[in-house]
Amino acid sequence: MRKTLLGYVPDESPIYAIHPFVKLFFLLVVSLFPMFITPPEWNLFLMLFLLGAMWYSKVNMSTLRIYVPVAVSMGTIILLSYTVLGGTHPEYQLLYKIAGIKIYWERIRDAIVVYFRILPMIFSMVFFLSTSRERDVIVAMRSIRLPFIVTYIFAMSLRAAGMVLEDFHIVRQAEKARGFDPAGKSLYYKIRQYVMYMIPLFALSLRRSEDFTNALVARGYAFTGEASRVKRADYVLTHYTFTTLDMVLTIIIGLSFVAILYLRYGLGYLDLDSSWFLSWLQGAIT
Amino acid sequence: MAPIIEVKDYTWRYLHTTEPALKNINLQIEEGTFLGIIGPNGSGKTTLANSIDGLIPGQYHGIKKGVVNIRGKEVEDYAKGSLQRTIGMVFSDPEAQFTAMTVEDELVFGMENLGMTIPEIRERLAWVTELTGLAPLIDKPPYEISGGQKQRVALAAVLAMKPEILILDEPTSMLDPISRKQVFAVLSKMKQEQNSTIVVIEHSLENLVPLADRMALLYAGELLFEDETHHFFQRMDLLLEKDVLPPGALHFFHHLIQAGYYNGRIPLTAVDAAEKLAQIMKKSVEEAKS
Repeated sequence: MRKTLLGYVPDESPIYAIHPFVKLFFLLVVSLFPMFITPPEWNLFLMLFLLGAMWYSKVNMSTLRIYVPVAVSMGTIILLSYTVLGGTHPEYQLLYKIAGIKIYWERIRDAIVVYFRILPMIFSMVFFLSTSRERDVIVAMRSIRLPFIVTYIFAMSLRAAGMVLEDFHIVRQAEKARGFDPAGKSLYYKIRQYVMYMIPLFALSLRRSEDFTNALVARGYAFTGEASRVKRADYVLTHYTFTTLDMVLTIIIGLSFVAILYLRYGLGYLDLDSSWFLSWLQGAIT
Repeated sequence: MAPIIEVKDYTWRYLHTTEPALKNINLQIEEGTFLGIIGPNGSGKTTLANSIDGLIPGQYHGIKKGVVNIRGKEVEDYAKGSLQRTIGMVFSDPEAQFTAMTVEDELVFGMENLGMTIPEIRERLAWVTELTGLAPLIDKPPYEISGGQKQRVALAAVLAMKPEILILDEPTSMLDPISRKQVFAVLSKMKQEQNSTIVVIEHSLENLVPLADRMALLYAGELLFEDETHHFFQRMDLLLEKDVLPPGALHFFHHLIQAGYYNGRIPLTAVDAAEKLAQIMKKSVEEAKS
């Protein structure tokens, strides 16, 4: 098993045959697809494709259960925002009037469209994080010749996030050991007492920053001056080869995006009127 | 031969403090020497290490008097980042030293900073992983391995840069006894195979004493004395008075001397102590028989 940003993927997963750049390109491009696809059914297919890709990559599918509450609450919030808090629109088709609140078909339709646009975006991110290690992200960024300092700061922010979480855990254990345990208390109490965690956490972060700066200096790294102008060899990139398969996949992803743009703006497909699901739903509820 | 490290009339006071952290330090370290620096907490050991490595005054604000020379050149006269090509520093908290996402990246980071080529890095990486026994961990994130392994990674990352001087600031303070031994085993190899100049600040003396050529005692910011390890531990009364707890074997022989049972040189290791004790007992038995 290899640890990825969101879990573990078995060593024999076919995903390791793919260059990190392709994975990053997939994330950046495929997560844009839903922006140009209005029919929810197509976005649902995209989501199913992403799930299939995760299954093929041997991602532990049971971990996806943790996203169900997120998906449900997000859907509820979007639906309520569009319908209950959607305002009055005399030009829209009124479906129901509940306790003075007008529910329009167009608002329900828009909520569904937005929801099914966001879901594949989230799943493409989950797919990427489930199949990539921190190192893959750095390699992908360096492959496109981003300056070392940019990739390094990104790597550091990933590392710092992990360290802060670890420190938070330590501080919480220490507070518990001294009898401070907000479990079972009201939310207001928890928020008020949160400062008990934040002060030591802040102090620890300051100390870590100092240690970290010293470590960078001790390793001969300099942001300015002569040492910063040294031509750096990128050793990590020597472990990765951009193969024909990677080239083919990159082209397929790029062409798919172009095809979607052409279908949408050249041929007029993938808009609201072309959705058979929305037509069926409108007929069903009106 | 000129010393590789020379600290002359050196005083350092951190900003917003009233007392200097180091007072009028004079210390010369010859090339290839293994120096152990001991002293209670707050005695200025880390400040001295940081002063030699150039982190002071580079990274800290304060008032400095005197000079710290590395190869005859004052640390402040080195261009930014260039002193670290000569001096490698390992800190006490291994976790705080990691700058990369895998052990391998961690090890190559310093070499990349030096501008080494890929073949050079590959060769050096093979050497350092062999030396420190880190080959099986090369793909792991450094923060997911054990404490001892973490410190070996931190040490290997510095060794990979092949510095002429290696400074270790309490490298085993967070480690269990076995991991401590492993770290000192690497230092022992460095001493024997590379003839590196090594300065180790350490509280735990069991592993340090057998390796150190010389020892120094810092107390309340002052360098009380510095001498060859054997001579250093002959002044046991002063060491005990200054809160230094020597290894059990040394302590035991100090008691023997005080009780009048022994008047020779204090052995430095448990093995030497056992041999010496066996000799004393044998002599006593022979004397009793005759």
